[in-house]
Amino acid sequence: MTIREIADQFQLVDPQDRLEILLDYSERLPPLPEEYAPLRDRGLNMVHECQSPVFLMVEVDDDEVVHLHADVPREAPTARSFTSILLEAFDGQPAAVVLDAPPDVLHDLGIDSLIGMQRTRGLRAIYAKLRHEVAQKAGAGEDGSVGARESG
Amino acid sequence: MANYAHPEVLVSTQWVAEHLDDTDDIRIVESNEDILLYDTGHIPNAVKIDWVNDLQDEVVRDYVGKHKFAELCEERGIANDTTVVFYGDKNNWWACYAFWVFKLFGHEKCLIMDGGRKKWVDEDRPLTKEKPSFPATDYTPQDADPKIRAFRDEVLDHMEAHKPLVDVRSPEEYRGELTHMPDYPQEGAMRGGHIPGARNIPWSRAAEEDGTFKPREELEAIYLEEQGLDPDTDTIAYCRIGERSSHTWFVLNYLLGFDQVKNYDGSWTEWGNLVGVPIEKGDPEQVRV
Repeated sequence: MTIREIADQFQLVDPQDRLEILLDYSERLPPLPEEYAPLRDRGLNMVHECQSPVFLMVEVDDDEVVHLHADVPREAPTARSFTSILLEAFDGQPAAVVLDAPPDVLHDLGIDSLIGMQRTRGLRAIYAKLRHEVAQKAGAGEDGSVGARESG
Repeated sequence: MANYAHPEVLVSTQWVAEHLDDTDDIRIVESNEDILLYDTGHIPNAVKIDWVNDLQDEVVRDYVGKHKFAELCEERGIANDTTVVFYGDKNNWWACYAFWVFKLFGHEKCLIMDGGRKKWVDEDRPLTKEKPSFPATDYTPQDADPKIRAFRDEVLDHMEAHKPLVDVRSPEEYRGELTHMPDYPQEGAMRGGHIPGARNIPWSRAAEEDGTFKPREELEAIYLEEQGLDPDTDTIAYCRIGERSSHTWFVLNYLLGFDQVKNYDGSWTEWGNLVGVPIEKGDPEQVRV
């Protein structure tokens, strides 16, 4: 689903059901591939604004396709669910899809009013990291530096 | 926990495990930073109270009024004489916060489960996704208790009188190095720093690795000997939005027996944005013992 379709799905239902959908997404975050675990364990690619250790690795390949890998502890289901939404909407998509996505996606999803403004800081930081890194890495050069350069 | 000033407000995970079914007199309340965490599994017979959706009124930027609070209690099956046991994530930050709000509205019997959710989970105690429902009660609303809540003018007077203020945020926040993220100014304060004269005692210094509170002797070594706080002097604690400082409020009030401690829940999001009030940046001054 695109981020727009996911947002529509959220907007259609009442707040309690929005929480249910979020829970569902938190269950669906794919496990982090083994080869990325050492990066996580070394504390690289972390979203520092989050109170929980949120690992988000953003790669853009030579064809300008975005690849996302993430790990979020089960004790932080809201961050897990939001990360899971971002993976569903943007993993494997052209960089332009990320760059053209709405800047205030939490508002579009109706998550900000659901969880309260005070709690959105970490989630906004996850999204900001995604957008920032995609912008930085997309079109970063023909010399293979994009793939060679680890994010963070 | 026996030698705390008020040991009766703290119970162990084992105590809670033994009282899961005493639902006529005891209500277990989970209160978390994360709004979804309760729904992923919670202590059997625990109800959820959410600090944003249940305890705050965003339109007036304040807590819900006493009538709303009473309705919340009635709906959760809490009567005026029910013993409410709070626990939650993040070393019981939000459990302490909910405890503080219950005290603010005059609820008498409030307890904290030492170690919070993490300790319960680490001990492999049972969790369930089943949401309990209890018969509605009839809760008599009480006026808010001004003795435990500080407002900004009072904090200003307190500061000018050089009475003790405790900033429980991280040293980076205290020194003013961390402000809001550039794209989201509405979530932070316009200025970074601390209230002039405030000591910096990060809340986490009161907690053990497993989330339980440190023994009284260690707490006294930090708050009294090292930082020079005095149990007989009015003290105000604050942080960013008042949640971490309710943890410290709990420590000073119940574990160390301070006579008069208030939580300034407006905290840095209010003070950092106020027109015409001073702030300080940088490291704390030498403690005025």
